[in-house]
Amino acid sequence: MGVTTALEWLGSCSGCEIAILNIGEDLVSLITETLNIVHAPILMDHKYFGQCGEGVTLEIPEAVVGIVTGGVNNREHLEVLQEMRKKCKVLLALGTCATHGGIPALMNGQDQLESWEGIFSTVSTDPGAEIPNVEVPPPLDRVYACDEKVKIDMQLPGCPPNPELIGEVIVALAEGRVPVLPGKSVCDTCPTKREGKGMVDKVKRFINNVEFKPGTPIDEMRCLLEQGYMCMGPVTVAGCAKRGGPSCISARVPCRGCFGPVRRDGNQLLDMMNGLVSNGLDFKSVVDRRSVLRFSGAHGRLRPVKKRVARGKVK
Amino acid sequence: MSFEPKIIAFCCNWCSYAAADLAGIHRMQYPHNVRIIRLMCSGMVHPEFVMDALSQGADGVMVLGCHLGECHYRDGNYRAMDRSDMVAELLEDFGYEQERFSLTWVSSQEPDKFVKAVTEMTASIKELGPVNGEQAEVV
Repeated sequence: MGVTTALEWLGSCSGCEIAILNIGEDLVSLITETLNIVHAPILMDHKYFGQCGEGVTLEIPEAVVGIVTGGVNNREHLEVLQEMRKKCKVLLALGTCATHGGIPALMNGQDQLESWEGIFSTVSTDPGAEIPNVEVPPPLDRVYACDEKVKIDMQLPGCPPNPELIGEVIVALAEGRVPVLPGKSVCDTCPTKREGKGMVDKVKRFINNVEFKPGTPIDEMRCLLEQGYMCMGPVTVAGCAKRGGPSCISARVPCRGCFGPVRRDGNQLLDMMNGLVSNGLDFKSVVDRRSVLRFSGAHGRLRPVKKRVARGKVK
Repeated sequence: MSFEPKIIAFCCNWCSYAAADLAGIHRMQYPHNVRIIRLMCSGMVHPEFVMDALSQGADGVMVLGCHLGECHYRDGNYRAMDRSDMVAELLEDFGYEQERFSLTWVSSQEPDKFVKAVTEMTASIKELGPVNGEQAEVV
């Protein structure tokens, strides 16, 4: 039998689990020989409170490897995550939600109460709707990444993560070695042509298509940043490259930054703006600047905008 | 107790740090709230330095460099200037007031300007209150 493994999902969309299933042929040997999955609510039937609900406390079986996807958004997530930490020797945060907050952490940029009221009781909702308070786990004050709440031993970002890298991490864990993960930026894996900076002084929104000759390979297209598009390659960690180039750029679309910052505690917004300004681009041409943190809004990066207090009243 | 802010001042080796030195030699008085960090050039102050300082409890950050056109590395202070607007604006995004950051040009023979800049910054931060002050009060 293989290494006992528990999978768990918190505030997640199940895209990470689909990425696991996307490993391909290697998956067969992984789940039959390498791993012995003892708990995975999304893939198999194993309940928290006993199979017939007879238990009173949340229980997850002991496992050597724990794989957690999704961020920590409410009390239930927190409880499950803490139980996972207790029962697993090695805890792996899989996917950008678990490592940096991901899409749900966009909520951190707004006032929570206002958002909840907006969702449940705007003019367009039928009367009688109110913010639920029973049978729904209460939300935390903001969306957290897993490593803000418990110790995480290994992180693998991506939205979704690259199946190849998931395979690499699992095999490395089973073999007891450190997995080889990319540590440089998306640009490092990008084959597009760089012809020199300084041709543009503003970034464009991605409303028109980028310039390229249809039918030609990706390495004959010019760097999208040099074309003036807001490509987040420089501030995003590599890992998405599957067939010769980063996924989005291979589809002739600028990088959206879904793998999170290059360094674990990097700040995509700050680094991107610094990069633009240092190269003579107008940072004010970026529309909705804060959304650059669309994948890494946890760790207190994305906060509601402070309402300015009139001078003199601050004291 | 009155509020004594902590202010981090990034001074370039060639002008503003020398000015601070000269202010000391002249025994000029200036607020003790400022902590000087010497760098080779104001152009090497990455915005992350500023954000890190504020997130770790500094109440204000100053960057002091050579006058424009007098940079030891020719255009380092132009870079600092390009960045400063961006840093000030991004501070708001991260929940700090723009006034917590300032950029000043001071040559090595202008200790009076250094003293003035530090005094003014300290006064303005004192008026602004501690960093993340509102949250601190709630706790």
